[in-house]
Amino acid sequence: MSASSSRSFPLSLAPELFGDDTPETRGDRVYFRLLELFILVYAAWFCWDWGFYIQQNISSVLLPLGLANYVDVSLFFDHQVALINASLVTLLGALGFFRLWRPAYLLALISFHFQYVARYSLGEISHGSNLIGMGVLGLGIALLAFRSESMRRRFTFGYLYFFIGLGYTSAAVSKLIGTGLYWPDGRHLLMWIGERKVDTLSKFGAFDPNVLQDLVLTDYRFGTAILLFGLFAEAVSFLMWWKSYRYPIVLLVVGMHIGIYFSMNIFFAASTYLLILLGLPWNRVIDALLSSDPSGEDRVASQKAPA
Amino acid sequence: MSSTGPRKALRIIGIVLAVYALLVATHKGEFWPFSIYPMFSQAGNPWTRAVVREVPPETTAESIDWSTVPFENVAGEPYPLAPKNINQNDVANYVSKTDDWAPGRVQGLRSLFTKNRTLTAPLLVYRVRGVLADDTVSVSATPVMLFAPDTTHLNPSPAARTLGSTVAESSAAK
Repeated sequence: MSASSSRSFPLSLAPELFGDDTPETRGDRVYFRLLELFILVYAAWFCWDWGFYIQQNISSVLLPLGLANYVDVSLFFDHQVALINASLVTLLGALGFFRLWRPAYLLALISFHFQYVARYSLGEISHGSNLIGMGVLGLGIALLAFRSESMRRRFTFGYLYFFIGLGYTSAAVSKLIGTGLYWPDGRHLLMWIGERKVDTLSKFGAFDPNVLQDLVLTDYRFGTAILLFGLFAEAVSFLMWWKSYRYPIVLLVVGMHIGIYFSMNIFFAASTYLLILLGLPWNRVIDALLSSDPSGEDRVASQKAPA
Repeated sequence: MSSTGPRKALRIIGIVLAVYALLVATHKGEFWPFSIYPMFSQAGNPWTRAVVREVPPETTAESIDWSTVPFENVAGEPYPLAPKNINQNDVANYVSKTDDWAPGRVQGLRSLFTKNRTLTAPLLVYRVRGVLADDTVSVSATPVMLFAPDTTHLNPSPAARTLGSTVAESSAAK
């Protein structure tokens, strides 16, 4: 690759991630606000769920994460502090959603971060909320850095496709570095199914393997096929940066999550729902439902507003 | 839309990416919500989890067999954690990542079962270990701790209490 083409690569991404040749429709705007609402409601739900769990169960820090390396988060464990923090996230989310205070989302993210590090201070590193956290960060930057609602929308979507694609591809790279090219060996899936069996027994007192798990337990080579698909889906995820590959790649990742659910009983609910929201042209569906006329008055010259 | 919008957006992405890389590089790959997503990256390695069993009220530290047994032979009855709103990952992390069962660490695990509630029967916490052996998964369990309603007993063998010691013992036995 020549020096000039390597310099132009990031610039060529800008129109792919943030550009839009077509005028903005009501569907675009409603879709964005629904996505924003989804991220905020899920963020608040995480914070309240963790808040009650912290209050009920946690009394010590086993593994400091994130800012807990620098701040003692044990104050969250008693006196309803975790629930007060959840209230704060909810309030700041509402202030941001109704555009009452531009720093609100970024401040909500800080409170969300503290809730996460307090909840997972016992050693578990959960990735179930990462995409929602990244979403709040994207919304926070959009609200602070741009005055135009249209640009906020374009930035948030482009930002999400960029970092989600990067995250899944990073997961594939981690596997190849951590284990090597033989990561998809079906015997590895046997091990994870065994682990999930113990976890499920621990949670519910009983475990019944499903059809897919039975298949892998019978012949681990089925597991090899499943892991190959998963690794492939993660490795190519960065292709969602380009518009022409976006929807198929996002749906491929959704398929991988469904595979994880059936093979290992692990459902990344927030991530899967967010990907479904990002993996289909819901703006066009909303346009159709609103019976908007894409060539008529519903079109807006949204680009008039300054970025 | 002017072209400055996408360019500004791209610059912001670059800044976020730099902060992302800096934070995960200096915090072992995790600084929520940033992560290198290393889950499932260590394939094939032995794993360690935990199960909790409810044992009869008359059970004492002396009456328990503290030795490692095949997983099918664990004592007592299941004590499902989900209905108690206890996350099994938290229990597993305590028994797999504790090198020294100092009083604070023991109390931290006990509080998962006793904070804002009381025990009605003794609970036996097992460390469960799975290893790949001849295309199957061999699973064994070692009692780590007995939570009686009013007291706590650790496995009398210091070597059996922690995963590191158990691994060393297993290696020595081979």
